[in-house]
Amino acid sequence: MLPYLLRRAASLMLVLFGLAILIFVIARIVPGDPARIALGPLATDQQVVELRAEMGLDDPFLVQLWTYLSGLAQGDLGKSLLTSRPVIDDIMAALPATFELVLFTIVIQIALSIPLGVLAAVYRNTWIDNVTRVMSLIGVVTPAFVLAIILQLLAAYYFGFFPVTGRIDPGIAFEADRTGLLIVDGMLAGRWDVVGDAIRHLILPAVALAAGGIGQVMRITRAAMIEVASRDFIEASRAYGVPERVVTFRYMLRVAAVAPLTILGLEFASLIGNAFIVEFVFSWPGIASYGVRTILQKDLNAVIGVVLISGVFFVVANLVIDILLGILDPRHRLRAKGSE
Amino acid sequence: MSAPPLLQVDRLTIGFRSYGQQPRILHDVSLEVGVGERVALIGQSGSGKTVTMRAIIGTLPMPPGIVEGGAIRYDGRSLLELSRADRNRLKGTGISIILQDPMLSFNPVLTVGRQMDDIVRYADIRLGRRRRAADRRQHIVQTLEKVQLAEGGRILGSYPFQLSGGMRQRVLIGMALLNAPRLLIADEPGTALDVTTQDEILALLNRLVAEEGLSLLLINHNLGVVRETADRVYVMEKGRIVESGTRDAIFSHPTHPYTRKLMAAVPPLYGAGVTTVRNTRAGDMPAIAIEGVSKDFLTRGGWLNWVTGRFPAVRDVSLQIAPGDIFGIAGESGSGKTTLAKMILGLIQPSAGDIRVEDRAVSVFAGTEEFRKLIQIVYQNPGSSLNPRRTVGDQLAVPLKFTGHAGARIPGQVRALLEMVDLPADYASMYPHELSGGQKQRVAIARALSVRPRILVLDEPTSALDVLVQSTVIELLHRLREEFDLTYVFISHDLSLMRNFCNRVAVMLRGEVVEQGPVAQIFDTPRHPYTRALLSAIPVISEAEAAQKPKITN
Repeated sequence: MLPYLLRRAASLMLVLFGLAILIFVIARIVPGDPARIALGPLATDQQVVELRAEMGLDDPFLVQLWTYLSGLAQGDLGKSLLTSRPVIDDIMAALPATFELVLFTIVIQIALSIPLGVLAAVYRNTWIDNVTRVMSLIGVVTPAFVLAIILQLLAAYYFGFFPVTGRIDPGIAFEADRTGLLIVDGMLAGRWDVVGDAIRHLILPAVALAAGGIGQVMRITRAAMIEVASRDFIEASRAYGVPERVVTFRYMLRVAAVAPLTILGLEFASLIGNAFIVEFVFSWPGIASYGVRTILQKDLNAVIGVVLISGVFFVVANLVIDILLGILDPRHRLRAKGSE
Repeated sequence: MSAPPLLQVDRLTIGFRSYGQQPRILHDVSLEVGVGERVALIGQSGSGKTVTMRAIIGTLPMPPGIVEGGAIRYDGRSLLELSRADRNRLKGTGISIILQDPMLSFNPVLTVGRQMDDIVRYADIRLGRRRRAADRRQHIVQTLEKVQLAEGGRILGSYPFQLSGGMRQRVLIGMALLNAPRLLIADEPGTALDVTTQDEILALLNRLVAEEGLSLLLINHNLGVVRETADRVYVMEKGRIVESGTRDAIFSHPTHPYTRKLMAAVPPLYGAGVTTVRNTRAGDMPAIAIEGVSKDFLTRGGWLNWVTGRFPAVRDVSLQIAPGDIFGIAGESGSGKTTLAKMILGLIQPSAGDIRVEDRAVSVFAGTEEFRKLIQIVYQNPGSSLNPRRTVGDQLAVPLKFTGHAGARIPGQVRALLEMVDLPADYASMYPHELSGGQKQRVAIARALSVRPRILVLDEPTSALDVLVQSTVIELLHRLREEFDLTYVFISHDLSLMRNFCNRVAVMLRGEVVEQGPVAQIFDTPRHPYTRALLSAIPVISEAEAAQKPKITN
């Protein structure tokens, strides 16, 4: 297992390195002078020239790249033009909110999609199957921002239980200073009012974000379960008297789970993309709101930082999925590979 | 038979509901298995054997399956009237099964130990027994000893893919025996294995029946296997039992025409029925000359996937194949026969040595259009070598297009190709799933012949087919060889078939050719001990043939 993990981790580091270079190159290609934008229309040419020099924009491209990469290796993402603070500090301040939202979304996705997929497969071609399939189709075809706005309107007009914006009620005095995650810190501090309020705030954006993935993963789970059900070893287990419940969950689901898990990992990319919009709609103080602002301001260092962080998210999520696959299916890590 | 039978299937009739219709799959099927008796149910695929088996075990999906009449009695109890709980209690403990393919019968992601323990544990729960995990483990290890697997501990910690084919089959039998069933139903045991391993497995089954007092219901289409493992035989055709009787009666005096047809289609290994193929065309230049060819595969592993070793798949093989030959390459799985075939086709490069096709080196010749027009291949499983989403006509047209045939003439050529393999021309518009296994293989042959090659590599072209279908495909191949002056390289593990189909054979063992020569010589006076072992392991269908097999003295 350990060599398998190291191999996966090494290849993912390579992906991040590639991403870092790619995003840097793209940021330098896009038109517009960041120094001019940062200083505003009233700045003199002299000021712009000075700022360009200070930002290193006049150096040869490879020198810029080297400065950037060596800074990156030390965790230095440069300074934000928008906030005049180090980008890494801005990101670390906004990250926990996004992390909490995305984590909560994934928990909802897994908790709903896989059981529903199993249910639909076990009761295949009955009304249970039909209802879950129609629901999943609706989930897949509704864009996250549409769902976000609908949910917000419903909450605002018809049921006041779910707050429409923000992460926590402003009236609650609480500093999330350990992990930055309100639910976790609230639990650690024994502040159950904080935990409850944080969850209330999370539900609507998380549901809006999760819906598409739930539908997709559910359909894949269902298909994989049906495929596995027709395999010989399932008939064998039944004939040897293993109870149906054990056959379904231990014998079928373990084999079938590989496909939905892989999809969950890929789904993560669209999750981050959609988070940008959903956070915006719900005024969620996360990395996405920060990202949108910095993109509009052409705050290059910050944009690069946000994209890199999204990349790290995606890569780590897929590493976790790889580990899970390795645990679920021994063939992933044990089979010796032959080649010519 | 004075004692009541252990299993009695009485006029069982089963239909399948599909799209408003309800075709019958079984018609008044009756059969009995006595205590300690070995009974075989034989017939082609699709004859209803598997449905019968599933109905007995209780794994037939209902619906769509519907019992329209009849009864199944086990130990005096009517199985179809039992409550679900009572029925489940018999699974594994009263009636148990061994499915056909030992690889597919295991859950690939759970250890063998886990799967065996589940079987014991849940049977204990149902029967109200209490055993500790250590006791269950001991029981499992003892059961594995019964199937001649000594290293129980190591096996239990392994995943199925880490065991060899023969071991898997043994573990599978052990699994079926875990809860001491009285009736064992075996679906084609050993067919997925090499003959020598199959031979051991059949001997093991026979011994278990004798020692454990088991009854055995054997579902099979290999008549040779049936002759070695059954006391009585039922013959099934299209959902009906058409003939039944003792083994000796069925094998020496089959009365029903279907039984006779089945027997006649089995290629004989020895005796008067054997056909000896001759090559009358032989010229001076060999069609294929293989000189000292070796092929090493590298094994990789470790942290960075570095090369950790090399595995010699083919070692120093030299063969001369004359034009017009049907050259058989025999060997068990892993013997290197397929690797050799791939090298002949230029699909992989030899590590050492030289292959020449019609006196031109494959290393340079391969990849040219001329080479593709000269040599073609027919794969083992037509179900997977044909594209399921394209029509037969489309697939036959592909090689024609790529070898520069005029577009307008292609439909006519497709029609001609289909006629060549005895298929109606309108099959061009059908999809592979609409065809039977034999018809699909005919399409695959037509596709290989579409560019009019002079050499055809046949990779076990009939091993996925029933014996009756096999004989018609073999006939077709003979006819095509005559008509188009073809040379065949025939790769197979089925020696009885090779005896009747090839004119020369080479026997491979672990990458080396241990013996080669004209068929009659190899089969009548085998010299290498491995050839003798292979021949003696082949199940044959008559006493006379069995007597002529080489004896193994050890």
